[in-house]
Amino acid sequence: MKILQNSDVPIYKQIATQFKEDIMSGKISEGEYLPSIRGLARDLKISVITTMKAYEQLSEEGLISPVQGKGYMVNAQDREMVKEQHLRLLEQHLQNAMDSAKLAGVSREELLKMINVLYDTN
Amino acid sequence: MDSIISAKGFTKKYSKFTLDVPELDIPKGFATALIGANGAGKTTLIDALCGIIHATSGEVTYFGKYKDIDSPELREKIGYCASSGFFPQAWRAKDIAISMEIAYDSFDRKKFEKLCGQMEVDTELTKKARPMYKQSDGNRMRTSLAAVFARDTELMVLDEPGSSLDPLMRDRLCDRMREYLDEGEGEKSIIFSTHNIADMENAADYAVFMDAGKIIEQGFVEDLKEKYIIARGEAEDYNDAKELLISHNCNKTAFDGLALSENREKLTELGAACERPTLQQLSIGLLKYAEEIR
Repeated sequence: MKILQNSDVPIYKQIATQFKEDIMSGKISEGEYLPSIRGLARDLKISVITTMKAYEQLSEEGLISPVQGKGYMVNAQDREMVKEQHLRLLEQHLQNAMDSAKLAGVSREELLKMINVLYDTN
Repeated sequence: MDSIISAKGFTKKYSKFTLDVPELDIPKGFATALIGANGAGKTTLIDALCGIIHATSGEVTYFGKYKDIDSPELREKIGYCASSGFFPQAWRAKDIAISMEIAYDSFDRKKFEKLCGQMEVDTELTKKARPMYKQSDGNRMRTSLAAVFARDTELMVLDEPGSSLDPLMRDRLCDRMREYLDEGEGEKSIIFSTHNIADMENAADYAVFMDAGKIIEQGFVEDLKEKYIIARGEAEDYNDAKELLISHNCNKTAFDGLALSENREKLTELGAACERPTLQQLSIGLLKYAEEIR
Protein backbone atom coordinates (compact mmCIF):
# COMPACT_ATOMS: atom_id res chain seq x y z
CA MET A 1 0.00 0.00 0.00
CA LYS A 2 1.30 3.43 -0.83
CA ILE A 3 0.30 6.57 0.99
CA LEU A 4 1.08 10.16 -0.01
CA GLN A 5 1.53 12.26 3.11
CA ASN A 6 1.12 15.64 1.45
CA SER A 7 -1.64 14.87 -1.00
CA ASP A 8 -4.92 16.81 -1.18
CA VAL A 9 -6.71 13.52 -0.64
CA PRO A 10 -6.94 12.80 3.10
CA ILE A 11 -4.84 9.79 4.12
CA TYR A 12 -7.84 7.86 5.39
CA LYS A 13 -9.48 8.18 1.97
CA GLN A 14 -6.34 6.95 0.24
CA ILE A 15 -6.33 3.87 2.47
CA ALA A 16 -10.05 3.23 2.01
CA THR A 17 -9.75 3.54 -1.78
CA GLN A 18 -6.86 1.11 -1.98
CA PHE A 19 -8.62 -1.48 0.15
CA LYS A 20 -11.76 -0.98 -1.91
CA GLU A 21 -9.81 -1.70 -5.09
CA ASP A 22 -8.24 -4.77 -3.53
CA ILE A 23 -11.60 -6.05 -2.36
CA MET A 24 -13.34 -5.39 -5.67
CA SER A 25 -10.57 -7.01 -7.66
CA GLY A 26 -10.67 -10.02 -5.39
CA LYS A 27 -7.10 -9.53 -4.17
CA ILE A 28 -8.54 -9.65 -0.67
CA SER A 29 -11.36 -12.13 -0.60
CA GLU A 30 -14.50 -12.64 1.41
CA GLY A 31 -13.91 -13.74 4.99
CA GLU A 32 -10.35 -12.46 5.12
CA TYR A 33 -9.34 -9.99 7.81
CA LEU A 34 -7.82 -6.60 7.11
CA PRO A 35 -4.61 -5.81 9.03
CA SER A 36 -5.24 -4.65 12.61
CA ILE A 37 -5.87 -0.94 12.99
CA ARG A 38 -2.81 -0.31 15.15
CA GLY A 39 -0.64 -2.66 13.12
CA LEU A 40 -1.47 -0.84 9.90
CA ALA A 41 -0.85 2.54 11.56
CA ARG A 42 2.56 1.27 12.65
CA ASP A 43 3.47 -0.04 9.20
CA LEU A 44 2.30 3.05 7.32
CA LYS A 45 3.74 5.44 9.93
CA ILE A 46 0.44 7.20 10.40
CA SER A 47 -1.80 7.77 13.38
CA VAL A 48 -4.18 5.12 14.69
CA ILE A 49 -7.21 7.34 14.30
CA THR A 50 -6.52 7.72 10.58
CA THR A 51 -6.61 3.98 9.88
CA MET A 52 -9.62 3.68 12.15
CA LYS A 53 -11.45 6.28 10.08
CA ALA A 54 -10.57 4.46 6.85
CA TYR A 55 -12.00 1.21 8.25
CA GLU A 56 -15.11 3.00 9.48
CA GLN A 57 -15.72 4.33 5.99
CA LEU A 58 -15.32 0.87 4.42
CA SER A 59 -17.61 -0.50 7.09
CA GLU A 60 -20.27 2.14 6.37
CA GLU A 61 -20.11 1.27 2.69
CA GLY A 62 -20.75 -2.34 3.62
CA LEU A 63 -17.45 -3.69 2.32
CA ILE A 64 -16.19 -4.90 5.70
CA SER A 65 -17.68 -5.63 9.11
CA PRO A 66 -16.18 -5.38 12.57
CA VAL A 67 -15.85 -8.70 14.38
CA GLN A 68 -15.61 -8.47 18.16
CA GLY A 69 -12.04 -8.96 19.27
CA LYS A 70 -10.81 -9.96 15.81
CA GLY A 71 -10.78 -6.81 13.74
CA TYR A 72 -12.45 -6.17 10.42
CA MET A 73 -13.57 -8.91 8.06
CA VAL A 74 -14.27 -8.55 4.34
CA ASN A 75 -17.95 -9.07 3.52
CA ALA A 76 -19.34 -11.05 0.62
CA GLN A 77 -19.56 -8.57 -2.23
CA ASP A 78 -22.24 -8.31 -4.82
CA ARG A 79 -19.71 -7.43 -7.51
CA GLU A 80 -22.30 -6.99 -10.27
CA MET A 81 -24.24 -4.46 -8.25
CA VAL A 82 -21.18 -2.48 -7.22
CA LYS A 83 -20.00 -2.50 -10.83
CA GLU A 84 -23.38 -1.24 -11.94
CA GLN A 85 -23.18 1.59 -9.41
CA HIS A 86 -19.75 2.59 -10.65
CA LEU A 87 -20.89 2.50 -14.27
CA ARG A 88 -23.74 4.83 -13.44
CA LEU A 89 -21.31 7.17 -11.66
CA LEU A 90 -18.98 7.02 -14.66
CA GLU A 91 -21.76 7.95 -17.06
CA GLN A 92 -22.69 10.87 -14.89
CA HIS A 93 -19.10 12.14 -14.78
CA LEU A 94 -18.75 11.77 -18.54
CA GLN A 95 -21.94 13.71 -19.05
CA ASN A 96 -20.53 16.49 -16.86
CA ALA A 97 -17.30 16.43 -18.85
CA MET A 98 -19.24 16.68 -22.12
CA ASP A 99 -21.27 19.61 -20.79
CA SER A 100 -18.11 21.47 -19.82
CA ALA A 101 -16.54 20.63 -23.17
CA LYS A 102 -19.51 22.14 -24.98
CA LEU A 103 -19.29 25.32 -22.90
CA ALA A 104 -15.57 25.64 -23.55
CA GLY A 105 -15.94 24.83 -27.23
CA VAL A 106 -13.86 21.68 -26.99
CA SER A 107 -14.54 19.28 -29.84
CA ARG A 108 -15.27 15.57 -29.54
CA GLU A 109 -11.81 14.66 -30.87
CA GLU A 110 -10.09 17.05 -28.45
CA LEU A 111 -12.06 15.64 -25.53
CA LEU A 112 -11.10 12.09 -26.45
CA LYS A 113 -7.49 13.19 -26.81
CA MET A 114 -7.62 14.73 -23.34
CA ILE A 115 -8.91 11.49 -21.86
CA ASN A 116 -6.09 9.61 -23.56
CA VAL A 117 -3.50 12.02 -22.21
CA LEU A 118 -4.92 11.80 -18.70
CA TYR A 119 -4.94 8.03 -18.90
CA ASP A 120 -1.26 7.99 -19.80
CA THR A 121 -0.24 10.41 -17.07
CA ASN A 122 -2.11 8.42 -14.42
CA MET B 1 -15.17 5.21 24.43
CA ASP B 2 -13.16 4.32 27.52
CA SER B 3 -10.98 6.93 29.18
CA ILE B 4 -7.51 6.21 30.40
CA ILE B 5 -7.48 9.36 32.50
CA SER B 6 -10.51 11.35 33.42
CA ALA B 7 -10.13 14.52 35.48
CA LYS B 8 -12.71 16.84 37.01
CA GLY B 9 -12.21 20.27 38.55
CA PHE B 10 -8.49 19.79 38.28
CA THR B 11 -6.36 22.78 39.28
CA LYS B 12 -2.82 23.62 40.26
CA LYS B 13 -2.23 27.11 41.59
CA TYR B 14 1.10 28.90 41.66
CA SER B 15 1.57 32.54 42.52
CA LYS B 16 1.81 33.60 38.88
CA PHE B 17 0.23 30.69 37.06
CA THR B 18 -2.93 28.65 37.42
CA LEU B 19 -3.68 25.41 35.66
CA ASP B 20 -7.44 25.12 35.40
CA VAL B 21 -8.95 22.02 33.83
CA PRO B 22 -12.68 21.69 34.59
CA GLU B 23 -12.96 18.46 32.61
CA LEU B 24 -10.55 16.24 30.73
CA ASP B 25 -11.03 12.76 29.28
CA ILE B 26 -8.14 11.12 27.53
CA PRO B 27 -9.20 8.19 25.33
CA LYS B 28 -7.81 4.71 25.91
CA GLY B 29 -5.86 2.96 23.17
CA PHE B 30 -4.56 6.09 21.44
CA ALA B 31 -1.74 8.59 21.43
CA THR B 32 -2.83 11.93 22.84
CA ALA B 33 -0.78 15.03 22.12
CA LEU B 34 -0.73 18.00 24.51
CA ILE B 35 -0.03 20.97 22.29
CA GLY B 36 0.73 24.48 23.46
CA ALA B 37 3.25 27.29 23.55
CA ASN B 38 6.06 27.40 26.09
CA GLY B 39 4.52 28.11 29.47
CA ALA B 40 1.02 27.01 28.45
CA GLY B 41 0.91 24.47 31.28
CA LYS B 42 1.65 21.20 29.49
CA THR B 43 4.31 20.07 31.93
CA THR B 44 2.28 21.23 34.94
CA LEU B 45 -0.67 19.16 33.71
CA ILE B 46 1.50 16.11 33.05
CA ASP B 47 3.33 16.35 36.36
CA ALA B 48 0.13 16.87 38.33
CA LEU B 49 -1.58 13.94 36.59
CA CYS B 50 1.44 11.71 37.25
CA GLY B 51 1.72 12.73 40.87
CA ILE B 52 5.13 14.35 40.42
CA ILE B 53 3.59 17.49 41.92
CA HIS B 54 0.43 17.71 43.98
CA ALA B 55 -2.68 19.21 42.40
CA THR B 56 -4.40 21.99 44.32
CA SER B 57 -7.85 20.51 43.76
CA GLY B 58 -9.73 18.04 41.63
CA GLU B 59 -10.43 14.38 41.19
CA VAL B 60 -8.70 12.11 38.74
CA THR B 61 -9.67 8.57 37.75
CA TYR B 62 -7.02 6.41 36.12
CA PHE B 63 -7.85 3.34 34.01
CA GLY B 64 -11.48 3.80 35.02
CA LYS B 65 -10.87 2.63 38.61
CA TYR B 66 -7.79 4.01 40.37
CA LYS B 67 -8.16 7.28 42.26
CA ASP B 68 -4.89 7.42 44.19
CA ILE B 69 -1.83 8.16 42.09
CA ASP B 70 0.41 6.98 44.93
CA SER B 71 -0.95 3.44 44.75
CA PRO B 72 1.97 1.14 43.87
CA GLU B 73 -0.23 -0.93 41.57
CA LEU B 74 -1.06 2.15 39.51
CA ARG B 75 2.53 3.39 39.51
CA GLU B 76 3.59 0.11 38.00
CA LYS B 77 1.24 0.69 35.06
CA ILE B 78 2.37 4.22 34.22
CA GLY B 79 5.66 5.04 32.51
CA TYR B 80 6.75 8.64 32.99
CA CYS B 81 9.55 10.43 31.19
CA ALA B 82 10.40 14.04 32.06
CA SER B 83 11.50 16.58 29.47
CA SER B 84 15.02 16.82 30.82
CA GLY B 85 17.17 14.06 32.23
CA PHE B 86 15.83 12.98 35.60
CA PHE B 87 18.56 10.51 36.43
CA PRO B 88 21.43 11.76 38.59
CA GLN B 89 24.14 13.33 36.46
CA ALA B 90 26.89 10.99 37.60
CA TRP B 91 24.96 7.85 36.63
CA ARG B 92 25.82 5.62 33.72
CA ALA B 93 23.52 3.21 31.87
CA LYS B 94 24.29 0.48 34.39
CA ASP B 95 23.28 2.60 37.39
CA ILE B 96 20.02 3.42 35.65
CA ALA B 97 19.34 -0.25 34.96
CA ILE B 98 20.00 -1.22 38.58
CA SER B 99 17.81 1.54 40.02
CA MET B 100 14.96 0.93 37.57
CA GLU B 101 15.08 -2.76 38.41
CA ILE B 102 14.68 -1.97 42.11
CA ALA B 103 11.94 0.60 41.50
CA TYR B 104 9.77 -1.34 39.04
CA ASP B 105 8.86 -5.03 38.98
CA SER B 106 8.44 -5.14 35.22
CA PHE B 107 11.70 -3.44 34.25
CA ASP B 108 13.45 -5.70 31.78
CA ARG B 109 17.23 -5.26 31.65
CA LYS B 110 17.56 -7.14 28.38
CA LYS B 111 14.95 -4.92 26.78
CA PHE B 112 16.74 -1.84 28.14
CA GLU B 113 19.97 -3.09 26.63
CA LYS B 114 18.26 -3.61 23.27
CA LEU B 115 16.47 -0.25 23.32
CA CYS B 116 19.69 1.60 24.18
CA GLY B 117 21.22 -0.10 21.15
CA GLN B 118 18.34 1.01 18.93
CA MET B 119 18.59 4.54 20.29
CA GLU B 120 22.36 4.45 19.71
CA VAL B 121 23.45 5.36 23.24
CA ASP B 122 25.74 3.70 25.79
CA THR B 123 24.34 0.48 27.21
CA GLU B 124 25.12 -1.42 30.39
CA LEU B 125 27.68 -3.44 28.51
CA THR B 126 29.43 -0.53 26.80
CA LYS B 127 33.04 -0.32 27.86
CA LYS B 128 33.83 3.01 29.50
CA ALA B 129 30.18 4.11 29.34
CA ARG B 130 29.84 7.85 29.87
CA PRO B 131 28.00 9.39 32.83
CA MET B 132 24.91 11.47 32.06
CA TYR B 133 26.66 14.80 32.54
CA LYS B 134 29.11 14.00 29.77
CA GLN B 135 26.34 13.41 27.28
CA SER B 136 24.23 15.71 25.14
CA ASP B 137 20.60 16.53 25.97
CA GLY B 138 19.51 14.33 23.09
CA ASN B 139 21.47 11.34 24.32
CA ARG B 140 20.17 11.79 27.85
CA MET B 141 16.62 11.82 26.48
CA ARG B 142 17.33 8.68 24.45
CA THR B 143 18.59 6.89 27.55
CA SER B 144 15.54 8.01 29.56
CA LEU B 145 13.20 6.84 26.80
CA ALA B 146 14.97 3.48 26.59
CA ALA B 147 14.58 3.10 30.37
CA VAL B 148 10.88 3.86 30.39
CA PHE B 149 10.06 1.72 27.33
CA ALA B 150 11.92 -1.18 28.95
CA ARG B 151 9.12 -1.46 31.49
CA ASP B 152 5.82 -3.24 30.92
CA THR B 153 3.33 -0.41 31.24
CA GLU B 154 -0.16 0.43 30.05
CA LEU B 155 0.19 4.19 29.87
CA MET B 156 3.20 6.11 28.68
CA VAL B 157 3.45 9.78 29.65
CA LEU B 158 6.23 11.54 27.78
CA ASP B 159 7.00 15.22 28.33
CA GLU B 160 8.49 16.80 25.18
CA PRO B 161 10.07 13.51 24.09
CA GLY B 162 10.93 14.75 20.61
CA SER B 163 12.30 18.20 21.37
CA SER B 164 15.92 17.33 21.95
CA LEU B 165 16.11 14.53 19.38
CA ASP B 166 17.42 14.80 15.83
CA PRO B 167 14.91 14.20 13.00
CA LEU B 168 15.98 10.61 12.42
CA MET B 169 15.73 9.70 16.08
CA ARG B 170 12.39 11.49 16.37
CA ASP B 171 11.12 9.32 13.52
CA ARG B 172 12.37 6.25 15.37
CA LEU B 173 10.59 7.45 18.51
CA CYS B 174 7.32 7.80 16.56
CA ASP B 175 7.81 4.24 15.30
CA ARG B 176 8.39 3.04 18.86
CA MET B 177 5.22 4.80 20.00
CA ARG B 178 3.13 3.15 17.26
CA GLU B 179 4.63 -0.24 18.11
CA TYR B 180 3.68 0.34 21.74
CA LEU B 181 0.06 1.07 20.78
CA ASP B 182 0.03 -1.92 18.44
CA GLU B 183 1.33 -4.41 21.01
CA GLY B 184 -1.33 -3.16 23.43
CA GLU B 185 -4.14 -3.91 20.95
CA GLY B 186 -6.16 -1.02 22.28
CA GLU B 187 -5.20 -1.48 25.94
CA LYS B 188 -2.12 0.74 25.89
CA SER B 189 -2.20 4.51 25.61
CA ILE B 190 0.29 7.34 25.25
CA ILE B 191 0.18 10.95 26.35
CA PHE B 192 2.93 13.20 25.07
CA SER B 193 3.49 16.92 25.02
CA THR B 194 5.07 18.96 22.30
CA HIS B 195 5.43 22.55 21.18
CA ASN B 196 6.49 21.43 17.73
CA ILE B 197 3.77 19.16 16.45
CA ALA B 198 4.96 19.19 12.81
CA ASP B 199 7.53 16.51 13.59
CA MET B 200 5.05 14.28 15.34
CA GLU B 201 1.96 15.01 13.29
CA ASN B 202 1.36 11.37 12.42
CA ALA B 203 1.92 10.12 15.94
CA ALA B 204 -1.09 11.95 17.39
CA ASP B 205 -4.60 10.52 17.43
CA TYR B 206 -6.18 12.85 19.95
CA ALA B 207 -5.10 16.43 20.51
CA VAL B 208 -5.47 18.68 23.54
CA PHE B 209 -4.61 22.32 22.87
CA MET B 210 -3.51 24.41 25.84
CA ASP B 211 -3.01 28.10 26.40
CA ALA B 212 -2.26 29.99 29.63
CA GLY B 213 -3.20 27.07 31.87
CA LYS B 214 -6.47 26.28 30.11
CA ILE B 215 -7.59 23.74 27.55
CA ILE B 216 -8.85 25.67 24.54
CA GLU B 217 -9.81 22.77 22.27
CA GLN B 218 -9.61 19.00 22.24
CA GLY B 219 -10.71 16.16 20.02
CA PHE B 220 -9.70 13.38 17.67
CA VAL B 221 -7.34 14.77 15.08
CA GLU B 222 -9.43 13.53 12.15
CA ASP B 223 -12.55 15.19 13.56
CA LEU B 224 -10.74 18.46 14.21
CA LYS B 225 -9.41 18.47 10.65
CA GLU B 226 -13.02 18.36 9.48
CA LYS B 227 -14.29 20.87 11.98
CA TYR B 228 -11.84 23.55 10.82
CA ILE B 229 -10.50 24.82 7.51
CA ILE B 230 -7.69 27.11 6.46
CA ALA B 231 -8.92 29.97 4.30
CA ARG B 232 -6.66 32.08 2.08
CA GLY B 233 -7.61 35.08 0.02
CA GLU B 234 -6.69 38.42 -1.51
CA ALA B 235 -5.94 41.26 0.90
CA GLU B 236 -8.81 43.33 -0.54
CA ASP B 237 -11.35 40.71 0.56
CA TYR B 238 -10.00 40.57 4.10
CA ASN B 239 -12.49 43.01 5.63
CA ASP B 240 -15.46 40.95 4.49
CA ALA B 241 -13.87 37.66 5.52
CA LYS B 242 -12.57 38.89 8.88
CA GLU B 243 -15.74 38.06 10.78
CA LEU B 244 -15.67 34.47 9.60
CA LEU B 245 -12.08 33.81 10.63
CA ILE B 246 -11.00 32.47 13.99
CA SER B 247 -7.36 33.46 13.64
CA HIS B 248 -6.26 36.40 11.55
CA ASN B 249 -3.22 37.07 9.45
CA CYS B 250 -3.23 39.77 6.78
CA ASN B 251 -0.63 41.75 4.90
CA LYS B 252 -0.66 43.96 1.80
CA THR B 253 -1.01 41.04 -0.57
CA ALA B 254 -2.99 38.29 1.06
CA PHE B 255 -4.78 37.04 4.15
CA ASP B 256 -5.12 33.64 5.75
CA GLY B 257 -6.65 32.20 8.84
CA LEU B 258 -8.40 29.35 10.52
CA ALA B 259 -12.19 29.14 10.19
CA LEU B 260 -14.98 26.74 11.01
CA SER B 261 -15.87 24.39 8.17
CA GLU B 262 -19.49 25.50 8.38
CA ASN B 263 -18.35 28.86 6.99
CA ARG B 264 -16.64 27.31 4.00
CA GLU B 265 -19.33 28.30 1.49
CA LYS B 266 -19.47 31.90 2.67
CA LEU B 267 -15.70 32.19 2.48
CA THR B 268 -15.62 30.65 -0.98
CA GLU B 269 -18.22 33.20 -2.11
CA LEU B 270 -15.87 35.90 -0.87
CA GLY B 271 -13.21 34.51 -3.16
CA ALA B 272 -11.17 32.69 -0.52
CA ALA B 273 -9.56 29.32 -1.21
CA CYS B 274 -10.18 26.77 1.53
CA GLU B 275 -8.14 23.73 2.44
CA ARG B 276 -8.04 21.00 5.04
CA PRO B 277 -5.58 21.98 7.78
CA THR B 278 -2.60 19.93 8.85
CA LEU B 279 -2.29 19.44 12.59
CA GLN B 280 0.50 22.02 12.54
CA GLN B 281 -1.70 24.63 10.82
CA LEU B 282 -4.53 23.80 13.17
CA SER B 283 -2.26 24.29 16.17
CA ILE B 284 -0.99 27.64 14.97
CA GLY B 285 -4.52 28.86 14.22
CA LEU B 286 -5.93 27.80 17.57
CA LEU B 287 -3.00 29.03 19.64
CA LYS B 288 -3.05 32.35 17.80
CA TYR B 289 -6.77 32.66 18.44
CA ALA B 290 -6.22 31.92 22.13
CA GLU B 291 -3.56 34.61 22.24
CA GLU B 292 -5.87 37.13 20.55
CA ILE B 293 -8.68 36.63 23.06
CA ARG B 294 -6.52 36.10 26.14
